Amino acid sequence: MYRLALNMLFGDRAKLAMLLCGLAFSALLMAQQSSVFFGIMSWTYTPMVNIRAQIWVSDSMVEQVNDAKPLRDTDLGRVRSVDGVAWAAPLHTSFVQARMQDGNFKLITLVGIDADTFAGAPAVLTQGRIEDLRLPDTVIVDEWGAALMGRMGVGPDGQPRNQPLTVGDTFEINDIQARIVGICKVRRAFTGGPFVYTTYDRAKGYTLGARRTLSFMLVEPQKGVTPIELCDRIERATGLKAWTSDTVIWSWGERSLARNTFWWFWTNTGIPFSFGTAVLLGLFVGIAISGQTFYSFVLENLKYFAALKAMGAGMGIIARMLFIQAFSAGLIGFGLGVGMAQAIGRVMIEKGMPPFVMYPQILWATFVLVLGISFVSAVIGIIKVSRVDAAAVFRG
Amino acid sequence: MSPVAPIVAVRASGVDMFFGTPENQVVALKQADFEARRGELIMLVGPSGCGKTTLLSVIAGTLTPQAGTVEVFGQRLDGLGQEELTAFRRKHLGFVFQSFNLIPTLTVVENVMVPLLIQGLANDEAHARAKAMLDQVGLKGREDDRPDGLSGGQQQRVAIARALVHEPPLLICDEPTSALDKDTGAHIMQLVRDLSRSPERCVVVVTHDHRIFRFSDRIAEMEDGRISRVFDDPKLLDASHL
Ligand SMILES: Nc1ncnc2c1ncn2[C@@H]1O[C@H](COP(=O)(O)OP(=O)(O)OP(=O)(O)O)[C@@H](O)[C@H]1O
Ligand SMILES: [Mg+2]
Repeated sequence: MYRLALNMLFGDRAKLAMLLCGLAFSALLMAQQSSVFFGIMSWTYTPMVNIRAQIWVSDSMVEQVNDAKPLRDTDLGRVRSVDGVAWAAPLHTSFVQARMQDGNFKLITLVGIDADTFAGAPAVLTQGRIEDLRLPDTVIVDEWGAALMGRMGVGPDGQPRNQPLTVGDTFEINDIQARIVGICKVRRAFTGGPFVYTTYDRAKGYTLGARRTLSFMLVEPQKGVTPIELCDRIERATGLKAWTSDTVIWSWGERSLARNTFWWFWTNTGIPFSFGTAVLLGLFVGIAISGQTFYSFVLENLKYFAALKAMGAGMGIIARMLFIQAFSAGLIGFGLGVGMAQAIGRVMIEKGMPPFVMYPQILWATFVLVLGISFVSAVIGIIKVSRVDAAAVFRG
Repeated sequence: MSPVAPIVAVRASGVDMFFGTPENQVVALKQADFEARRGELIMLVGPSGCGKTTLLSVIAGTLTPQAGTVEVFGQRLDGLGQEELTAFRRKHLGFVFQSFNLIPTLTVVENVMVPLLIQGLANDEAHARAKAMLDQVGLKGREDDRPDGLSGGQQQRVAIARALVHEPPLLICDEPTSALDKDTGAHIMQLVRDLSRSPERCVVVVTHDHRIFRFSDRIAEMEDGRISRVFDDPKLLDASHL
C-alpha cells in the first residue's frame, strides 16, 4: 500500500513540483541563511584563527577580540612572572591606512608579532619565509589582501598592474615603506581588510603616535598546566583578563575569546536578528507553500481516500500513507534545497572568501525543520481525511 | 452432509435513517425492511431520493442508522465500532460506484491491487492476482495504463475487477451503468453477472436503468424510504411500471 501511496504522489507531477518547490525553497532559505550567518559570525573572531596561541591576555575591560584596549609594555613582565607561564609574547593589532603605489589608500589589519618567537605567525606561507620578517621594513601580506591591493597598484611602467602583489612589491604605512617578503594564507575577517604581518617593534614604528601598542599578550602554558588553570592564575596575579583560544563553535569553552566575541556580536548587533528573520521566513514560507500544496493534494484525492475508507482501509493505513507521501516529499525537497544552498555556497567560495559555513549541524537542523513541515502537512491532511465520511463515496 | 447454509445474505429490519437537525429533518429511510439472498443478484429501484443509496450505505456499514437492525452474512452491524466496521468491509464487501472512483494517478493494475494491499497481501502476490482479475474482465494488456486513458466502459471493468479481486461475499453496485451508454451498460451487467454469480455471493445493484433489469434475479422497489414491493420475476416488471 505504501508503494501505491508514493505512486499516488508521484503520479501528479504538477502538484509534486509545487510541493517540492515549497519544501526546497524553505530548505534553501534556512540552510543558506544559517550558513551565511555562521560564516559572518565566524569572521568576527577571525584573528583568533589567524593568530594562533593558547592563551590571550588583554586589558580587563576587553569584551571581544576586535576591540583591543592597549596595555602597558610592563604588563608583559608581570604576565611572564606568573607561575606556569612558559613564554609570553607581545601582539599588536590595529587598523591602519596603507598607501598603495598609485596613491590609493586601503584600510589594513596590521599585526605585529614578536620577532624572537614569531608567536602568532600565520600558519601557512605560500611565498617567502617567516624569518625574513627580521629584515628591515618587511611585511607579510595575506593572499587575498595581496590580490585586493594588487588591483589598486601600478607597475614599474606606471600602468595598472591588475595582478596580486607579490614578494618584492612595496607600499607604505604612515609614510614608512613596507616591503613584502612573504604571502600567507589566512581567513578573512569581519572588518574586510587585508592582514599585514610585521614584527611587534616595527608595528610600533608604523603606528607612530600611538602611545601604547601592546594590544594582547600571547601566552603559552608550561607542560602540565592547562590553559584554563593558567588563565585563572594570570587573572589573579595581574588583574588582566586571560582568554583561551578555542575557535570551534560547538565545543569552545566559556573562557574562549572567540566565543565571547561571537556572543558580543550576537547581543550587540542586528546580525542574528536579520538572519533569524530570514530563517523564520523560510520556515513559514515552507509551511505555507508545502502545507497548502499538500492540503490541496489531499483535497483533490479526498474522494479516493473516502473510497479507500469504504473499501476497508482504516485510518491507520491512511495516516501512514499520508505520512509517507509528506515525508518523501520532505526528503526530496530537503535534498534539492540543501543541494542548491551548497551550489550557491560553492559559487560564492569561487568568487572569493565568502561568509559561508555549512556546519553539519545546520544540515541536521534544516532536515529536522523540513521534516517538521512535512509532519504538519501530513497531520492537516490526516485530520481532513478522518473527517470525511466513507458514505461520501456513493455521492456523485 | 454439511449443514445447509442459511439462505439470507443481507437482512435489514425496521431501519430508520434521518439526516439534518431535528427541526430540519430529512427522512431517508423509514422502517425499511430489506432482504437479499445468497447466490442472487437483486436490484434496488425507485425514484430519485427514495433512499436507495442510503440503504446501500447502511448495508455497507458506512452509515449507522438511528433505528433497526442490519445483518450481513450472519454478522450484526449494529453495535460494531468504526474499526470493526472497517475490518468487516475490508473482508466482506466489494464496491462498484457510478463514477468509477478509480485513483487517477495509479495504473489500472495498481487500482485493482488496492483491496488486496489493504488486506495486507504482499505486493507481488497482489499484483499477480490483480493481473489475473483484469484478464477476466477483458483488460489484458492494459494493466499499466492510467484509468483516464480508458473508455468509460473499460474504467467500469477495472472497477469491477477491483470490487471482486478479494472475492468478497457481498458486492454492492450503485448505479453501475448510468455513466455508460446502453450497449456498454449491458456488457458491464453481463460481466457482473458472469463474474459475481456464485452460490455464496450476493449482489445488490441500485439502478434507474430499466434496460438492465433483465440481469437481475429479483427486484425490490423503493418508495419514500422503504421497500414497497418485491418482484420475484423481473420479467413481470416492465419499464412502464416505473
Ligand atoms: N448526507 C446526507 N445529508 C442530508 N441528506 C441526505 C444525505 N444523504 C441523503 N440525503 C437525503 O436522503 C434522501 C435519500 O437519499 P438517497 O441518496 O438515499 O436517495 P437515492 O434513492 O439514492 O436517490 P438517487 O436515485 O437520486 O441517487 C434524499 O432526500 C437525500 O436528499
Ligand atoms: Mg443514489
